[in-house]
Amino acid sequence: MPSVFTVASKEFSDIIKSKRFLILVTIFVLLVIVAQGTVYVSVSSSTQRALPRGFLGSIAYSLVTIMSYFAPIVGLALGFDVISGEREKGTLKIVLAQPIYRDMVFNGKFIAAFLSVSLAVLVSSVVNVGIAIVALGISPPPEDVVRLIIFMIFSILFAMTYYAISAFLSTATRRSSQSIIVGVILWAVFVFIIPVIASLVASALVPVSFTPQNITRSNATTFRPPEMQQYTSQMAARAQISSLINSFTPNYHFTSIAHYVLGVYAGAGTIAGGRIPTAPSSSASTSLVMNLFSAWPNILVLTTLTIVLFIASYTLFIRQEIR
Amino acid sequence: MEYAIEVFDLTKVYRSEGKEIKAVDHLNLKVEKGSIFGLLGPNGAGKTTFIMMLTGLTLPTSGSGKVLGYDIIKESLQIRRKVGLLPEGFGFYDHLTAEENLNYVAALNDIPKEERRKRVEDVLASVGLLEVKDRKFGGFSRGMKQKLGIAQALLKNPELLLLDEPTAGVDPEGARAIRELVLKLNREGKTIVLSTHLLFEVGPICDSIAIMNYGRLVLQGKVKDLLERLMAEEGYRIKIEGIGEVGAFAEELSRIAGVRSVRLEGKAVHVVAEKDIRVEIGKLSAKHNIEIVTLELQQPSLEDLFIKYYKKEGLSYA
Ligand SMILES: Nc1ncnc2c1ncn2[C@@H]1O[C@H](COP(=O)(O)OP(=O)(O)OP(=O)(O)O)[C@@H](O)[C@H]1O
Ligand SMILES: [Mg+2]
Repeated sequence: MPSVFTVASKEFSDIIKSKRFLILVTIFVLLVIVAQGTVYVSVSSSTQRALPRGFLGSIAYSLVTIMSYFAPIVGLALGFDVISGEREKGTLKIVLAQPIYRDMVFNGKFIAAFLSVSLAVLVSSVVNVGIAIVALGISPPPEDVVRLIIFMIFSILFAMTYYAISAFLSTATRRSSQSIIVGVILWAVFVFIIPVIASLVASALVPVSFTPQNITRSNATTFRPPEMQQYTSQMAARAQISSLINSFTPNYHFTSIAHYVLGVYAGAGTIAGGRIPTAPSSSASTSLVMNLFSAWPNILVLTTLTIVLFIASYTLFIRQEIR
Repeated sequence: MEYAIEVFDLTKVYRSEGKEIKAVDHLNLKVEKGSIFGLLGPNGAGKTTFIMMLTGLTLPTSGSGKVLGYDIIKESLQIRRKVGLLPEGFGFYDHLTAEENLNYVAALNDIPKEERRKRVEDVLASVGLLEVKDRKFGGFSRGMKQKLGIAQALLKNPELLLLDEPTAGVDPEGARAIRELVLKLNREGKTIVLSTHLLFEVGPICDSIAIMNYGRLVLQGKVKDLLERLMAEEGYRIKIEGIGEVGAFAEELSRIAGVRSVRLEGKAVHVVAEKDIRVEIGKLSAKHNIEIVTLELQQPSLEDLFIKYYKKEGLSYA
């Protein structure tokens, strides 16, 4: 009996040899290099200033920002034709004419995508961290290494969420051209539209009565007149509302997890959605376990979404007519 | 009699956009082991649907069937182990070579790694693609693609081959090569089912045929029996060419019992009769002093059969 790995190994080798995959990984690595270069320039031009928050602080922002774009794109790129492509080419008929069960084809492809996504995330993260070590001349402390590895795991999860979305579309729409269009639109809605809607709704619901002038973060914490307090609470209410709306996007959950694990605010979801006015360094100082505990709801949402979409596509595929 | 395929009231109803299409409608059919069976019918007759149901690629709405003794619903995996299928409208992976594509199929059939190379080369040789084994499938011509499809079906060394439109898009020479391959495989003991809407492509090599239309059987039987039946229905056509005074001879011929018509065409006389009356014709010609040059019973062709039943169904025949 051939196993699911017969399909998985063939699919994996197809993906990693494909132009699509190589181009994406190359672009990503180049982006990482550019981002690191910027950090390097800003650090070396002001020699007296130490790195803002050590190793993680100097790379986290670019890593999270880039990953919040890269992971969905890789997921979409690998998934949009996973079933529809085979159907269009007629290879599905050849494969299913062999003595295998249908679910093997589906599962094999999912495993292959998981391995490829993991490889892509690993390569890009290693490049990112490697450049940081070489260019900035610092080596990460053990806790930072652990945090980076955990961040990579959740990046893989995030990419798999998008893979599950596009694999579902590929199974449901039957045409790869349709599935890629719907996938990209959905992505754009999650990244650009919902965050904008979120902040519009938030500012409409909570009008701000007072606009603080010339207040920097340092004197804002020491100097708190009543107006300032009111302002802070209004901004917090806005942030809450926009978080609530943004939580309908997978991107929000990924950014939140990244925030807890690496201790930064970054990424597509919150850039447009308004930042939560707390000091970003606070989470890095708390323990990793505590951070993961705080990120737990977000982790649960991403995992559940991925599993539900997988089961939905699987069920659909098993029951579908081949032509 | 042992059957490779037996189906009972096999039915497939597709539902699309609220409409029901009976692609296969209470089909009862048996295919003898060791035969070459031609499944004929116009576009949309249900041939492909029938073949897909036999291999578990689509599930019947109702009815049952057995292929090589295995139940088509519960044991389709075992069926796919022993049945080579050339699906309609199939494709391979464009970026892989012919050999790589077949290696994958071999792996899916659990052919041990060490045997794969030889098996793949054997089947490539048998369809005449060995020289191009390192070329990518994407660059193949229609005919080459079709041959690779057949090679794929042969990899598992099947007892039964289901070939859905095997000569589609293949040039006449290629089509002949495929027919010869089918005959050779049949001599090796494989049962072969061919589906087509072009009778002349495969008709001559079939032992039995079934004509489908609107998911139902229009006609089914051994080619030999069907032709005899057609002759009985349409009459036995006899062509006589002789030297001598044929006018009076033809005149008397038309009065023989069982003769339906006599027609003169130059020196030739065409007779349609209810039975084979060549002996009587011989006697009569002697009486009229006619020296017979030709006396032949004109066999109707499968073509005639096909046209007749297509006409009966009110169909045009391409
Ligand atoms: N997946 C499907 N959904 C809906 N209807 C279908 C589906 N597949 C086939 N049909 C319909 O079922 C009928 C039989 O189609 P089928 O492909 O079995 O015919 P065929 O004899 O193989 O024709 P052809 O010679 O064109 O290959 C047609 O009316 C077709 O439109
Ligand atoms: Mg067909």
